[in-house]
Amino acid sequence: MHIPDGIVPLSVAAAGYAVTAGATWYSLRKINQQEDPQAGIPKAALLTSAFFVASWIHIPVPPTSVHLILNGLLGTVLGFYAFPAILIGLFFQAIMFQHGGLTTLGVNAAMMGIPALLAYGIFQLRTRFNLQDSQLWTGVFGFLAGSIGLALAAAIAFTILITTIPGNIDVAAERASITALIVAHMPLAIIEGIFTAMLVVFLMRVKPELLEGASTQKAAVASS
Amino acid sequence: MDIGLETYAKLDSPVHRWGVRQKLIGLAALIFAFAFIQDLRVLPAMIVVTAIIFAISRLPFPFLVSRLRYPGIFVLALAVVLPLFSGTTILVSLGPLAVRQEGLLAFLLIFVKFVCILTLSIVLFGTAPFLKTIKATRSLGLSPILADMMLLSYRYIYEVANDLTKMQTAMRLRGFRAHGFNKRTLNSLATLAGSLLVRSYERSERVYQAMILRGYGRAKISYEEFKAGTADIMAMTGVIVVAVGFVLAELFLRGVIGG
Amino acid sequence: MKPQTEANTYTNGYHHHAIKQPEPALTVTGLRFSYTDKADVLKDINVTIKPKERVGLIGPNGAGKTTFFMSICGVQKPQAGEIVLFGKPVKHRDFRPEIGMVFQNSTDQLFSPTVWDDVAFGPQNLGLSPAEVEDRVNEVLTSTGTLAFADRPPHHLSGGERRMVAIAGILAMQPQLIIYDEPSANLDIRSRRRLINFLKASDQAFIVSSHDLEFILEVCDRVLLLDEGQFIADGDPKQVMSDSPLMEAHGLERPHSLAFHKNDHHSGSKTTP
Repeated sequence: MHIPDGIVPLSVAAAGYAVTAGATWYSLRKINQQEDPQAGIPKAALLTSAFFVASWIHIPVPPTSVHLILNGLLGTVLGFYAFPAILIGLFFQAIMFQHGGLTTLGVNAAMMGIPALLAYGIFQLRTRFNLQDSQLWTGVFGFLAGSIGLALAAAIAFTILITTIPGNIDVAAERASITALIVAHMPLAIIEGIFTAMLVVFLMRVKPELLEGASTQKAAVASS
Repeated sequence: MDIGLETYAKLDSPVHRWGVRQKLIGLAALIFAFAFIQDLRVLPAMIVVTAIIFAISRLPFPFLVSRLRYPGIFVLALAVVLPLFSGTTILVSLGPLAVRQEGLLAFLLIFVKFVCILTLSIVLFGTAPFLKTIKATRSLGLSPILADMMLLSYRYIYEVANDLTKMQTAMRLRGFRAHGFNKRTLNSLATLAGSLLVRSYERSERVYQAMILRGYGRAKISYEEFKAGTADIMAMTGVIVVAVGFVLAELFLRGVIGG
Repeated sequence: MKPQTEANTYTNGYHHHAIKQPEPALTVTGLRFSYTDKADVLKDINVTIKPKERVGLIGPNGAGKTTFFMSICGVQKPQAGEIVLFGKPVKHRDFRPEIGMVFQNSTDQLFSPTVWDDVAFGPQNLGLSPAEVEDRVNEVLTSTGTLAFADRPPHHLSGGERRMVAIAGILAMQPQLIIYDEPSANLDIRSRRRLINFLKASDQAFIVSSHDLEFILEVCDRVLLLDEGQFIADGDPKQVMSDSPLMEAHGLERPHSLAFHKNDHHSGSKTTP
């Protein structure tokens, strides 16, 4: 789902950068408003590394295997640091593996980052309904966060790709292929959802602070 | 495990010696100029310029090819889709399918842009230590929060990767085989991923303590190492001029400017 | 001749100008620390450490050693007590470069992408000019024998090499009191010996916490036994650690080299007759 260089026109790449710049600026502002912005940096940075490596884990889906994006979970755990984390993660992927382009860094970050923030919001609903102590409901919200995080990212990615590829494909074919690609990714979204659910239940048992409304914010307050 | 592009970062070439800040600005300008191109007539010039810069950098060609392989797969998928489905002018008929001219040319455009942009990116990031490049972007105005996060993430990716390998080995030694898509396998892998997260989280507390013990946040960063020489600035200006040239050529061919 | 540093020497009748008391490196009085989920990890800690003194800290796991270290460095805020470091009280989150701490796990401490950058981190935060930073870094890399690794990323180093780089990073700040938390853990014999020699030759006061009791014997002049948040014993390493009942009562053991010799009548050799 990472969009490579050369495919989308500059206008789209520029728009992507504009959105990413805005979201990053907003995130940094929120980070700087905390009592001790520095305290959250090592936490966010090391979790970025952990998510980066965790996405290498092969999930067997016979006959093949898939790698998860985990943007939903990343949003859940990192809160305001999620967008910078995704930006950095994508940058590393572009440099290290040429996975996703540099001109398309903005587009890719927006495509994965906005759903991540949405996933964060969805997961926080858990506290709104006072369900944070229930393992079952934590799992449910985890599933929603994970699956919607991926589904939305896929929807954005394919819509951009199909509508901006140079060449004339007629509108009906365009719409058909977008729908087809998104539908093809639904099983993947379900898998991400299930995996995210299992992960949040694990974290709830082992380190619940990681799930409490952006633990990085907590760190900034606690250590001051 | 290396960051991949650092393998040839210590070679000697004019590009390697080019000041990192100027290299960043110059090549970024050229990369975005290339992204702007939609007219096929500009492609030959793009290829020539890219080839020249790559040649000057003395990076090995097989290295470039190996780096293009993975992302190239996706682009080659378009090699099939576009010529067969996009456009109306039919060049060759192959039974029920037809190779269309517009699609073929669209693919050609994408392919050349892809190769040129990626080659320049690899030259940009492959001819200097990654760390230096990050510091250069910080000196150009990148938020210190982002720069610090990037440096720390970069440093600890290796540690987490080590943890992952060790844990996977431990799991395998206890008979775990990730074969089927079933609840038990998923749960084990979720536990694996979760452990990575928890360990990193706990490690980050100690890292933070180590950082403040040595005065994190008090430094006034000096960018002396990035003092620019005349050659650096001239090279940058030259490349920017070329980039602008490409943009103007494209605008001219589109009929936006010129006679 | 060692000057007395007990506070009550002032009462011996001499005009106190005649006896120059060197200012203690560290004075801790009434230190108490509790975590939210664990009360009284440190109960009532009182200790004075002289400049250039070499102190060992022993005790079972969970005794409160790391908490003690974090408190005297100003990283964690105690519930009660006073900590005075080189004449100045230690306030929570103060930057006190006179004290440095070498962590148990060097990887937690080597957070920069290269060795050179990591060692330069401290001096840069001290506000030194780039030229001064360069001199300082080269100096400590040389004295710790790690100059050859300057350009390497920390994950390309062995455990012993990482340990010495971490020490270099602390030395670069020119501290006068260094804490070593389990420094010989996971080191091979050669690295351990190198570390022992290094500590024996060092200029600063230090506190070494270790389960490696022989290490403490070789390197320290004084030992503190910490258990259940209090100092149970404070004295000569050989005397304290030869006391088997005492050691065993607090989760430790008399080190083997002291098994037959309480007094060193073989001029340094610790072998059995």
